[in-house]
Amino acid sequence: MAGSDTVLIVGAGPGGIEAARGVADLGKRALLVETKGDIGGTPYEYYATLTPDLRETHEAMHEMVTAVKEHPLIDLRLNTRVVNSEGEIGHFKVTLQDESGSRTEEEVGAIVVATGFQHFDPGRETQMYGYYEYDDVLTLVDAEQMFKAGRIVRPSNGEVPERVAFIQCVGSRDRQIGNQWCSKVCCGIASKQSIEIKRMLPNAKVFIFYIDMRMYGFWEDMIYWKAQEEYKVNYIRGIVTEIIRKGDKLLIKGEDTTMGRPMEVLMDMVILSVGMEPSKGTLEMANIFNLPREEHGFIATKDGGPLDTVSTKVPGIFLAGAAAGPKDIEDTVSMGGAAAMKAVATLNRLALEVG
Amino acid sequence: MEPMEIPVLKGGTKVATSRVFDRDPDTVPEEDLREAIWALGREGEWIVQPVPEPYYLAPTKYGRLKKIPLEHTWHHKSCGQCGHIPGYSTSIFWLNRLLGYDYFDPRDQTSCTAWNYYASATSNQVAQAAVAMRNFSAAYESGYFPMIHCGTSFGHYKEVRHELVHDAKLRRQVRAIMDKLGRPFVMPEEIVHYSEWMYAIRDELKNRVQYDLSNITATVHPACHYYKLQTGDAIYDPEIYGGQRTAAVTGVVQTLGATVADYSSWYDCCGFGFRHILVQRDFTRSFATLRKIEVMKEEANPDVVLTHDTGCVTSLDKSQFAAQAHNRNVGVPVMSESQFAAIAVGAHPFRVAQLHWHSVDYRPLLSKMGIDPEKAWMEFQGDLEQIKSGAMDYLTWEHVL
Amino acid sequence: MPSDRYLEVPLVEKQRLFDEVKADPRFHTYLYGCYECGICVAACPSARFYDFSPRKIAQAAAREDLELIYEQMNDDIWNCSQCFSCNRCPRQNSPGGLITIMREVAVKNGMRSMKEALAGYTRIIYKIMTTGTQVSPDMLQEDAFPDWGPQVKMVSDNLDLWRRALPPETLHTTGLSWQVEERTMQELYAIWKLTGTLDMISEVDEGLHDIMEEIMDDALEESGISVD
Ligand SMILES: Cc1cc2nc3c(=O)[nH]c(=O)nc-3n(C[C@H](O)[C@H](O)[C@H](O)COP(=O)(O)OP(=O)(O)OC[C@H]3O[C@@H](n4cnc5c(N)ncnc54)[C@H](O)[C@@H]3O)c2cc1C
Ligand code: SF4
Ligand code: SF4
Ligand code: SF4
Repeated sequence: MAGSDTVLIVGAGPGGIEAARGVADLGKRALLVETKGDIGGTPYEYYATLTPDLRETHEAMHEMVTAVKEHPLIDLRLNTRVVNSEGEIGHFKVTLQDESGSRTEEEVGAIVVATGFQHFDPGRETQMYGYYEYDDVLTLVDAEQMFKAGRIVRPSNGEVPERVAFIQCVGSRDRQIGNQWCSKVCCGIASKQSIEIKRMLPNAKVFIFYIDMRMYGFWEDMIYWKAQEEYKVNYIRGIVTEIIRKGDKLLIKGEDTTMGRPMEVLMDMVILSVGMEPSKGTLEMANIFNLPREEHGFIATKDGGPLDTVSTKVPGIFLAGAAAGPKDIEDTVSMGGAAAMKAVATLNRLALEVG
Repeated sequence: MEPMEIPVLKGGTKVATSRVFDRDPDTVPEEDLREAIWALGREGEWIVQPVPEPYYLAPTKYGRLKKIPLEHTWHHKSCGQCGHIPGYSTSIFWLNRLLGYDYFDPRDQTSCTAWNYYASATSNQVAQAAVAMRNFSAAYESGYFPMIHCGTSFGHYKEVRHELVHDAKLRRQVRAIMDKLGRPFVMPEEIVHYSEWMYAIRDELKNRVQYDLSNITATVHPACHYYKLQTGDAIYDPEIYGGQRTAAVTGVVQTLGATVADYSSWYDCCGFGFRHILVQRDFTRSFATLRKIEVMKEEANPDVVLTHDTGCVTSLDKSQFAAQAHNRNVGVPVMSESQFAAIAVGAHPFRVAQLHWHSVDYRPLLSKMGIDPEKAWMEFQGDLEQIKSGAMDYLTWEHVL
Repeated sequence: MPSDRYLEVPLVEKQRLFDEVKADPRFHTYLYGCYECGICVAACPSARFYDFSPRKIAQAAAREDLELIYEQMNDDIWNCSQCFSCNRCPRQNSPGGLITIMREVAVKNGMRSMKEALAGYTRIIYKIMTTGTQVSPDMLQEDAFPDWGPQVKMVSDNLDLWRRALPPETLHTTGLSWQVEERTMQELYAIWKLTGTLDMISEVDEGLHDIMEEIMDDALEESGISVD
């Protein structure tokens, strides 16, 4: 029996969108399921501008978002989740549930899981960053909200900050927390944000406290050098370990490892470069589709190696984007395309085997 | 990057944000050592001594609950407390008596010897574990459950417990020693610090407070060895600093009605240094005054510094004399929260809290609480006269309750 | 930068000492690797007072830089306060724990710096090992604690009386912190003997070792506890 001619794509972030678009453009039906009320994923919901080109997010993603919404072969189900799956390659029977709780069953031939990541919650930080003590301690995500609003002010008093510090690797590269990976993007995002702050507040002093600055490929001179050379952002090697209110400022404590001495300085605002963790939806899909997780907790690829980035250990199920590990959008979208190609190839192969 | 001078705001344990941290139980990092302890018990590796009832369930750092026994406790005393600040231990015992709790003050107890180990390293892993297990077995055989008075003993025992759970060879070595001593090999279900018990009884105490403490401001020094070793096992309460700092001491003092003020070096160590306090005190004095007392004075101007460990009381209190001589901004009395709480619920400042063993002048604090220090001192002098004259051998519990 | 401070000490000796440090079963949980983030330094009280860095301790051990480790065992480790604030290391190292082990090795090998660091401390070793309590009330003497002010003298002048004015019976002591049963002390002596702790003292102070050995052997003979 030939398999179903539909590919299910779970999650409509950059990865899921690109996968759905790819499947549909290759002539198959794409069933795109998204738990939220809109598509676009984490960047579309939270970020004002994108790294590395600093384009406004909604404008930059507009083309791919409308393409999905208007494509005749894409069946988009918003506010919907996958609650069960049975069967196997060619004949997965998945149960979807919408907001009102009503369920439908769909048969699909292949599946792409693109359920993404969540931001690390600084309440779990083992350093004393006081995110749940002081309003002027923010995350990269909170800062993006400010950029969206077009105003950088200290939440505590509405004043313009004179000194802003970024702290890198919050919730990443940390055995105590259990997140032993680099989140790949936060160095670039912090550098991008520091450029934006300097553009909006040219007199502000901006500091980035880091262990290693990790900006691969073109992000190096597009973001890092630019921030340092053109915008005079202060990069200081050494991580802050405590943030405490002193008067109406924040006192941050760390080591300036260049000088080799403990360092304590006052800031008006501190931005925590929170990293990426598998989203709840990603963990849920790992359970429902019986997908083994790799040792960091993301969904594992078939052999974990670099030569196949999208096949999972379950035949007929593929991965795209941050569900597989920390990724930037560029890698995510590339994976979406690769997953679409492999999913459609699977349907085609099954059809051929029958014929 | 020179710091700027700025005005100071009085802090508190209420957070300055409306954000609320919701702990996701899936993300709790550490293993629950207690499960491993029970598992080893089932495998016959050791006897697990259960926490006796009634107990209080206190929240710890990762949201797990810790059983804190209220009664039937075996008091693992502290060298420095009993030796040099005896009002510390006396207050703990007195509070037990006040509440009518059954407890046991053993003589079959040695020091944990960790002060010496951290000072001189003249010991080793096996010896340290054997000392701990000998004390635990003594508690078990008495039928009472260990309650640890010293922060360092508490932290060190938790390190030892962690090592014993994970190292079968170490277990074998220590067990062989216990066999030689004719002692059972026992691990208590929980390792409990007296300040956790103070936290557990804070509401009991609140109902008994005798004085108006609302105009008393305290700064709290959390003891390093209480919560920086085996961090997952210390008490954290969402009401205190949003659950982001340990609630030991602070939770009690606030419940009693005093104000706890924040200060920017709260996380810093007291400067005790183990070896330094005994033979290299220039370090201790500088650190305790420059990084702790002076910062507290400048930012919070407290009436009293409260803490929950032997070494911290000692270094923070004794270091102030030399600084005072140099006209530094110091001069705050230091004591344990057990002494402060005992006084607050009616204990005598000299007969029970034994404040005359402390250095910095505590009389302004007593006056501010509504206690006449001179009258209390005369009462105590009367006791001493009776002892001197032979009318009384010792000051007894009957005399002080 | 390799240390050039102790070039006269042969490398094999430095290797031997480091091997001893590494052989401690706790070593592998006190050191994973170090990326020089400086968190430990920021949290460290001793780093504020001395030219001392827990980051360098972790780095030297991670690089197995024998010259530097040897230098640290001589010049740095006794500055540590053993507060374990550095346990916050994101790699889960414990520089303070490494130092505990390095000190133990320094003691066992009778290193000169150890003797200097523990000069004046040996009476405490005697107290803890023979009485089972670390500090006793009668140690509070003006000449030992001149910087603590006149209050110390008040305590020592009134010591007997003030100890009697303590309600807990176990605190009616002056020579040890609380009353410890004889059997309890004997068991402690057995632990010191059985674990090689007493032997370590001969490296610190031969005379002290001999005195304590005599006390402990006599007590143990009486106790009937076998330490063979
Ligand atoms: C602070 C920060 C800033 C960043 N900024 C940039 C940047 O400027 N440039 C860049 O290249 N990268 C950036 N990134 C990385 C970028 O966000 C990710 O690469 C990208 O979002 C990954 O896309 P995704 O589709 O895999 O996942 P997501 O964007 O997380 O999308 C997943 C989608 O799946 C949905 N979903 C989840 N579970 C389910 C479920 N069970 N059923 C149905 N739907 C589900 C979610 O609602 C969501 O819409 C940033 C990352 C961080 C942490
Ligand atoms: S990208 Fe940078 S900030 Fe993010 S985890 Fe990696 S090194 Fe740390
Ligand atoms: S905190 Fe850990 S990783 Fe960072 S410098 Fe110190 S030892 Fe190295
Ligand atoms: S244990 Fe030693 S190295 Fe670690 S923070 Fe304390 S003083 Fe510094």
